[in-house]
Order: sequence, then structure tokens, then C-alpha cells
Amino acid sequence: MFRTDEIIKASKLPPEGVAMSRHIDYIYFIPILFVTIIGTFHMHFDLLAGDWDFWIDWKDRQWWPIVTPITAITFCAALQYYNWVNYRQPFGATICILALLAGKWVTIWAAWWWWSNYPYNFVMPSTLLPSAIVLDVVLLLTRNWTITAVIGAWLFAALFYPTNWAIFAYSHTPVVVDGTLLSWADYMGFAYVRTGTPEYIRMIEVGSLRTFGGHSTMISSFFAAFASSLMYILWWQFGKFFCTSYFYLTDDRQKTTKVHDVFAYATLAHADKAKTSGGKA
Amino acid sequence: MNAKKTFKLWMLGFCGIATLAVTPVFESTPAFAHGERSQEPFLRMRTVNWYDTEWVGKSTAINDVTYLRGKFHLSEDWPRAVVKPNRTFLNIGSPSSVFVRLSSKINGTPMFVSGPMEIGRDYAYEVTLKARLPGHHHIHPMFAVKDAGPIAGPGGWMDITGNAADFKNEIKTLTGETFDSETKGTATGVMWHLFWAAVAIAWVGFFAIRPMYLIRARVLAAYGDEILLDPIDRKVGIFFLVFTVTVVTVGYLSADAQYPVTVPLQAGEAKIKPMPIKPNPLVMEVTHAEYDVPGRALRMVVHATNNGTVPVTIGEFTTAGIRFTNKAGAAKLDPNYPAELVAASGLTMDNEAAIQPGQTVDIKIESKDVLWEVQRLVDILHDPDQRFAGLIMSYTDSGERLVNPVWAPVLPVFTRLGA
Repeated sequence: MFRTDEIIKASKLPPEGVAMSRHIDYIYFIPILFVTIIGTFHMHFDLLAGDWDFWIDWKDRQWWPIVTPITAITFCAALQYYNWVNYRQPFGATICILALLAGKWVTIWAAWWWWSNYPYNFVMPSTLLPSAIVLDVVLLLTRNWTITAVIGAWLFAALFYPTNWAIFAYSHTPVVVDGTLLSWADYMGFAYVRTGTPEYIRMIEVGSLRTFGGHSTMISSFFAAFASSLMYILWWQFGKFFCTSYFYLTDDRQKTTKVHDVFAYATLAHADKAKTSGGKA
Repeated sequence: MNAKKTFKLWMLGFCGIATLAVTPVFESTPAFAHGERSQEPFLRMRTVNWYDTEWVGKSTAINDVTYLRGKFHLSEDWPRAVVKPNRTFLNIGSPSSVFVRLSSKINGTPMFVSGPMEIGRDYAYEVTLKARLPGHHHIHPMFAVKDAGPIAGPGGWMDITGNAADFKNEIKTLTGETFDSETKGTATGVMWHLFWAAVAIAWVGFFAIRPMYLIRARVLAAYGDEILLDPIDRKVGIFFLVFTVTVVTVGYLSADAQYPVTVPLQAGEAKIKPMPIKPNPLVMEVTHAEYDVPGRALRMVVHATNNGTVPVTIGEFTTAGIRFTNKAGAAKLDPNYPAELVAASGLTMDNEAAIQPGQTVDIKIESKDVLWEVQRLVDILHDPDQRFAGLIMSYTDSGERLVNPVWAPVLPVFTRLGA
């Protein structure tokens, strides 16, 4: 079914090396890579889009579909680059969002529910997992960064609102309280007291994306898709910068050159060659 | 390293993380205040002057309704360092949402969203609260000003009894359904999160069941990606793409069908008129004020004229939710007002006699109590703008109350230090 045997054979590792590599896979994959993404990405995301994701009464038609995908695609692009360029693994975005949501749910349970006693529905996060899967699949199918940036990143942002409408549609049901029309989400935000978060803090429904007969969501989603493309390119370049290894090679004529190579193992071969020929690396 | 050793290492790691996570549980103690005393004195004295604050029902059972009500005056001496109250919100200072707020009205107008208020005017508020979490809670009215932050009012204790699990807060929607704010949407949300997590784990797992990193890196470096790009990956990728887009579309359409009537989040502005200005025959102005640091006393000279037809007696000076009263004022005190915020005999005057109709007097008023220290208002000496503001309450013989806002610069006096 898979080409696994062929790949293992090509790696020229002895059986013990193959077994060891699987242990390294597990140790690196879960405790190191996954937990590191949780720590870094979760913090990055919450600082930039946290309120839209925490509170049900922040999930509006304009800012929520713009801020969330643009913020989330950043690490996804960088991790995609890392996983693809070094290993040809097309799950960088998905693992990123899985880690983000793992961190989110720890926070929701521990900080918002257990510690602060807010109900889960009040602090339910949005999900970007379908967007991330599609982004990864586009990279796998096209093997092209530009097409992934244009099509994949657009889909990443465009899928966000319909994905989450399934979770949050109910929260836009109208209610009347004290003779005032509110959405259910507004009522929740009013009912559950947040001492340090007065109503005016909400950044919702403000801005000029209001043409096309008030179809704000569509306009916001398209704008988010466009901005996500740009953000994807920027963070893919960040990924490239941090994944690029280089070293200085001094040959036997004492000439030093800077060697760029993203494949560390290949560069080590260069270095060995340099040493054996009397130089240093 | 074999699997057993790997497992042992994992277990050790988990034990370490668990130890770190559990430590705060045993070390933590409940917080009984919200840092209100840490707000600078000029912020508490010269912005919102709270009065008539009433914590109705000191003990409430779960699901029962109670009220927090009172009045406030927005000081004419609003500090330059604080943004003017062009966008404000009346909030509740509480340790989490121990009550849910059913209604909040200012001068009878609901305040679901924020709005502007006028300096120099008075407002009466009533917040309807439904008891949610049992405990002994310190509850404040709180006035939040955009770009300035929340300004805490006086805090009072409210007890909630019963079992938190019994709490329900059901509201009928305009579409005729009944939603419980504690649970509505939770099951659907969790279901979708679990579903997408399962799909995502399946996607990653499809690659994780095969060698993931080291072997692939070696092969990639040596031979390029020809071997690594397994044809089955593309087929599975197409399946995941179609499956994901289909489920998103079906989920969207079914939610749309289930909730056909929706409204956007409401982001309007509360239009609240201040209370009508009540004619006040007593005119007051502070001509001099000083704070006696070792004596813990604020002294002021008040130039007062009674333009009315009946005598008036000064009974109380209040600022930052703290009340200094003399005998006349103490008789009017609400016995339920938090004792820790009252200096019942803290107000003295050089002339206790009533101000007669037509009379103009200069009265030396001293509000003296350790409360200045306890409430950290003595820190006025460290403020960037050393002024005070508050309200002086006076009474006619018939019991009518006259409220006079006062304000002035404050000079520090280090009497005993200089002696």
C-alpha cells in the first residue's frame, strides 16, 4: 500500500537505526514539536485575535472572519514550509491548528470554566481545522508555494465563516430583553459579568466594509482571503529564513565561502569532504 | 532506547507537569477584593461620586433575583489625566460572574451597550442580578470609561446560598425557542470540535503511521523527493479535500436551515438622559483644603450660603464611596451600608449649627479617620494632580436631603513631623 519499505531502504539505515528513528519521531513529534507549537502559537494567536476567539459576543460579521484567519495562517505557513522542505510532510498547517486548539481547550477548561466559572458556550473557540486540512492538501497536490499561497490561503480564510456558522449560528437568534432587541450572543455578553471587559471594548461591526447591500460577511471573508494570501507569503518566507542552514567552508587553499543548503545532512557531507581535504568547517 | 524506556520517560515527564499544574491548587487562597484600593485617589475621588448604594438582599439563594442600586454624580472636577466620559458602561465588579445580570437600567433606560454621560450630572442605576455561584462575594458597582478604564465604586458583601448545579437561566427567543444560557450551544460546539479534531488526527495520522522525520530527511537529502511522494498520498489528499469541503457546506446549510432568523451583533449606543437638576438652595464652595498627613484628616473651609427658606444642617461628606458623618448624618445612614466604609463620627465642624435661611457662613469641616489610610486615599500626596472632590450631604428639619458636589486643590500638612 505504502512505499515505506522502499523509503527505508533508500535511507540506508540499519534496522536498529530505523527503530531508533521511530522513537525519535514519537519523542520529537508529540513532546517537542506539538507542545512547542501549543506554547508559541497559542500565545501569538491569543495576543492578536484572542478576544474574538474567547467571547461569543465578539464573533461578529466583520472583524471575526478577518482577524482570525489572518492571525492563524502565520504559523501554519511557517510550519508547512518546515515540514515540507525538510521532510515532504504535508501536515504543517493541520498540526499547527490542532496544537492551537489543544491549548485553547486547556485554557477553556482550566482558566475559563474551572477557575473563572464561565460556561463553555460563552467561551467556545472557533475552529480552523477544515481550513488547515485544505491548505495542507493544496500544498500536497500542487507542490507549489505560489499556488498554495493563492488558492490554499484563499480557501483557508474563505472556509472559516461557513465552518463556524455550524457552531455559532444559534448565537445570532434574536431575543428581546427590557424592550431591546439583542442577539443571543449580545445577551450572553451582557448577562455574564466581565469586570475588566466592559461592553465598549468589543471591536465589532465597525468599519467601512458595508457595501453590496450589507453583505458584510462575504466582503470580510474575501478581504480576509486576500490578506491571508499575503500573510501566507510573508510567513512562508519566515519559515524559509529559519529553516535555511548555512555554514562557512574553508578549503585547503584557505579560501572561505558561505554555503547555503537547507538540507543539514547534505551540508555535513560537504563539511566532511572539506575536513578530509585538509580544510575546516 | 526501547519502547519501555520511552514510556518511562514519558511518565516521568507527565508526573513533572502534573506536579507543576497541581501545586497552585493547594497554594491558592480565595481573593476577597478586586484591587479597588490600588486605584489612584484622584481617580476614585474626582470621577464618579457614588451615593445611596444599596446591595439588596445580603443573602440570596441560587436562582433568586436581587438588586444592586444607587446613584452617582460625575464630578465637575473630572481630572485632566482621565479621558472624559464620552463612552461609558455601568459594570459590576465581582469575582467572576457569581450573578448573571438580567437587566441594567440607568434613569430607567436599559444599558446593554455603552454610551456617553455628562459631567456634572447625576444618574440613578438599578442592576437586576440572578444568583449563580454560592459563596461570600464582594460586589461593586463599576463605572467603565473608554480609554480610562474601570472605576470601582464601594464594595459590599453579598452571600449566595445553594448548589451551583441548580442554576438555570432560560430565556425565550423571538423565534419561540427557549435557550438556557448555561448550556445552549455547548453540545453542538463540542461535537463539531471533536469531529474536526478526529478528521485532522486522521489526516496527520495517515502520515504518522509511516516514518516521519529522520528517515525522510535522509532520503530527501540523498535522492530528492521522487521516492517520498507516494501516489496514495495524492489520492487520500483529494479524498480529504472533497470530504472537508462537503462537510463544511452541509454543516453551514443545515445550521442556516435550523436557525433561519438571525440578527447581527448589536453594537449601538445607549442614549441615557441624566436625572433632572433638582433646585438646591444651598450653595457651597471650598475656599481652602488641606490634608493632615499624621492626623489622617482632610480639612476644608466651605463658603456656604443658604438661599432657601428653611435651616439646613450639614451631615455627611462622602468621597470614593467612603462616608464621614456627624450625628445628623449618622441618623440618616443606611444600616446595611458596609461598616468598613463608614466613619460614623468622622465628620466635625467648627460650627455645628444649622445654616439659617439667607445666611452665609465659612465653615471649617474636618473628615478624620484611619479610613484615609486603610482605603489608601492618603496616596493623594503622590497624585499628579493634588485635588479632591466629593459630595456634602445636608438636611432640612423635614428630612429633605441636599447634595452639594465640592472640589478643590489639597495642600499637604506635615503637622507633627514639623513639630
